[in-house]
Amino acid sequence: MNALIKSATIIDTKSDFHNETVDILIENGTIKNIAKSIKNTNNYKEIALHNLHVSQGWFDSSVSFGEPGFEERETIENGLKTAAYSGFTHIALNSNTNPVIDTASNVTFLRDKSNNNAVTMLPIGALTKQSHGKDLAELFDMKNAGAIAFGDYKSPITNPNLLKIALQYAQGFNGLVLSFPFEKNIAGLGVMNENFMSTSIGLKGIPNLAEDLHIARDLFILEYTEGKLHIPTISTKKSVDLIREAKKKKLNVTCSVAIHNLFLSDNTLKDFNTNHKVMPPLRTQNDIDALIEGVKDGTIDMVTSDHTPIDIEHKKVEFDHALYGTIGLESAFGALNTLFTTKKTIDVLTKGKQRFNIKNNSINLGNKACITLFNPNKKYIFDKDAIVSTSKNSIFDGQSLKGQVYGIISNNKIALKS
Amino acid sequence: MSELSVNHLLGIKYLKASDVDLIFETADHFKEVINRPIKKVPSLRDITIANLFFENSTRTKLSFELAEKRLSADVINFSASQSSVKKGETLIDTVNNILSMKVDMVVMRHPNPGAGVFLSNHINASIVNAGDGAHEHPTQALLDSYSIREKLGEVKGKNVVIVGDILHSRVALSNIYALQLQGANVMVCGPKTLLPKYINKLGVKVETNLRKALEWCDVANMLRVQNERMDINYFPSTREYSQQFGVNKALLNSLNKEIVIMHPGPINRGVEITSDVADSDQAIILDQVQNGVAVRMAVIYLLASKIKQ
Repeated sequence: MNALIKSATIIDTKSDFHNETVDILIENGTIKNIAKSIKNTNNYKEIALHNLHVSQGWFDSSVSFGEPGFEERETIENGLKTAAYSGFTHIALNSNTNPVIDTASNVTFLRDKSNNNAVTMLPIGALTKQSHGKDLAELFDMKNAGAIAFGDYKSPITNPNLLKIALQYAQGFNGLVLSFPFEKNIAGLGVMNENFMSTSIGLKGIPNLAEDLHIARDLFILEYTEGKLHIPTISTKKSVDLIREAKKKKLNVTCSVAIHNLFLSDNTLKDFNTNHKVMPPLRTQNDIDALIEGVKDGTIDMVTSDHTPIDIEHKKVEFDHALYGTIGLESAFGALNTLFTTKKTIDVLTKGKQRFNIKNNSINLGNKACITLFNPNKKYIFDKDAIVSTSKNSIFDGQSLKGQVYGIISNNKIALKS
Repeated sequence: MSELSVNHLLGIKYLKASDVDLIFETADHFKEVINRPIKKVPSLRDITIANLFFENSTRTKLSFELAEKRLSADVINFSASQSSVKKGETLIDTVNNILSMKVDMVVMRHPNPGAGVFLSNHINASIVNAGDGAHEHPTQALLDSYSIREKLGEVKGKNVVIVGDILHSRVALSNIYALQLQGANVMVCGPKTLLPKYINKLGVKVETNLRKALEWCDVANMLRVQNERMDINYFPSTREYSQQFGVNKALLNSLNKEIVIMHPGPINRGVEITSDVADSDQAIILDQVQNGVAVRMAVIYLLASKIKQ
């Protein structure tokens, strides 16, 4: 793949050309030249786009598609296309398929399915067999097949001893363990955040306590085992406080937050909109403020779209019956760039790679091109009709966002929205 | 002519104070009608109403059916046990099938909060919420306020305590909204485990001591403990609950005033209310039932007149 990117502003603090507007010449997938103006002597594909900015390729640490088992929600092929058009060069794919991704052969199936794609799809293996939370899956075997981390998606590890063992065992091969913070007994039959809104509309609430308690427990276990833990998608103020304290104590812990948990509060549930039924639930403005502060000061290491396609048959139903989740890849950049500076947005979209042992390619001469192309200034209303994802369950439907993605160049391929 | 500000009755929180006034004025008229020798008016001869009960109900269903029949509406009944819901049909499809038989209005009882709101976004008919999970039960709240108004002259400025299982109660929530809309002061009283943690944010007083609550109030609305909605035991035993939150004649007599006792039914004698209280002159439980028919006639009549336009 050869291409000449014209007049692009580089947003990459690791690049020698950070904040400069330049031409970038790519030959056979490698950056060959960066300069104020490069002539297209070999007649390569020229990429000239309005207010073009480029950065290192983005990473999403929690993405679900539907293959195998739920292809009606999303296929790998269309899912990867969606990711590419949303600016993600790397995605960590959750194990919540049918069958669950709990063996090396399942991991290999996913890797094979995503070969030769611009997007690098990195499977997360299930931590326990069939994600039943009883016996560890073959973590080492899956790691060798290409699994980048291990977790049971949104099934919490209810047995603390199992987490203890997992954190100890995974150290033998530098494995990263994921523990979704959700104390089921405290959450009870809750379907949304417990606060004023749940009280006023009669839906059962999930207290912050359900998350806080689980994280406090996990951090104690982490301290004991000296393992390596990632806590996906936190949503409460106290979670941020707990993890901030844990980091001060030098525990090997990271965490993420779902972008919609930064953007929307539980007030939006007043009309029982099932696209706003997500796990963890939308919390209050007080939590949102703490989460944003956590992103800014680095307590929260990465953001995720927590992309979860759900077919309309499981959303256009009574609120109690609707499945949890929202798609999020396509709104991710626009939402983040509305909340934060573009520099910070790029930072939180790329920083997570390190934790998952993914190589960061800065935009410098001689490096493989792993680039996201975007226009940070474009304002628009996020429109359901323009969604590429097979499932259209977007929590951002109708929201005003700032920042539009053109696509990516990665794995020696170009994937640009037409 | 005055009309309601809404096309459905999905909950009290969607109503204005003027809607409540209009409903009560209309109910006054119908209350007079149902006490005539011929208890029927021909108002809704051209209206067909479907009563869809996806959850068990005896009194509410009877009350609605009677209200509809006394307005001369055509009535069809449907309950979940006979339905295709069990065959996997969605709520929207079930209701649309019924509507395609030219039904004008739907009265629905449903176990899930927001089911009425959800349905109103997807179907083309007037909807009356007859109770949706722990969300709202607007006609119950209207008839409760109507009964207070009848007994005490007005609702405004009155102190009303709702006692019991607030956590699982749609009656409590609708009553809070209705009473506040009319300018009453509201308190909830029960064991802490059955009071939603954030209930005070709705602007109500919270009390865990029944005596103190009764000393404060003009009206006590006693709710049933909804064991069927509980995923865990919220108190050790019915006996112990009754000791703390049951109202008996001795307790009432020890107050230095005579308060009004209400209950939405079904009552559990000896649990939240003793027989000597339930059968006393202080209790207006059976008045509530009678007023329920008049208030539901008013609601249906007013919504139907909007369809006719």
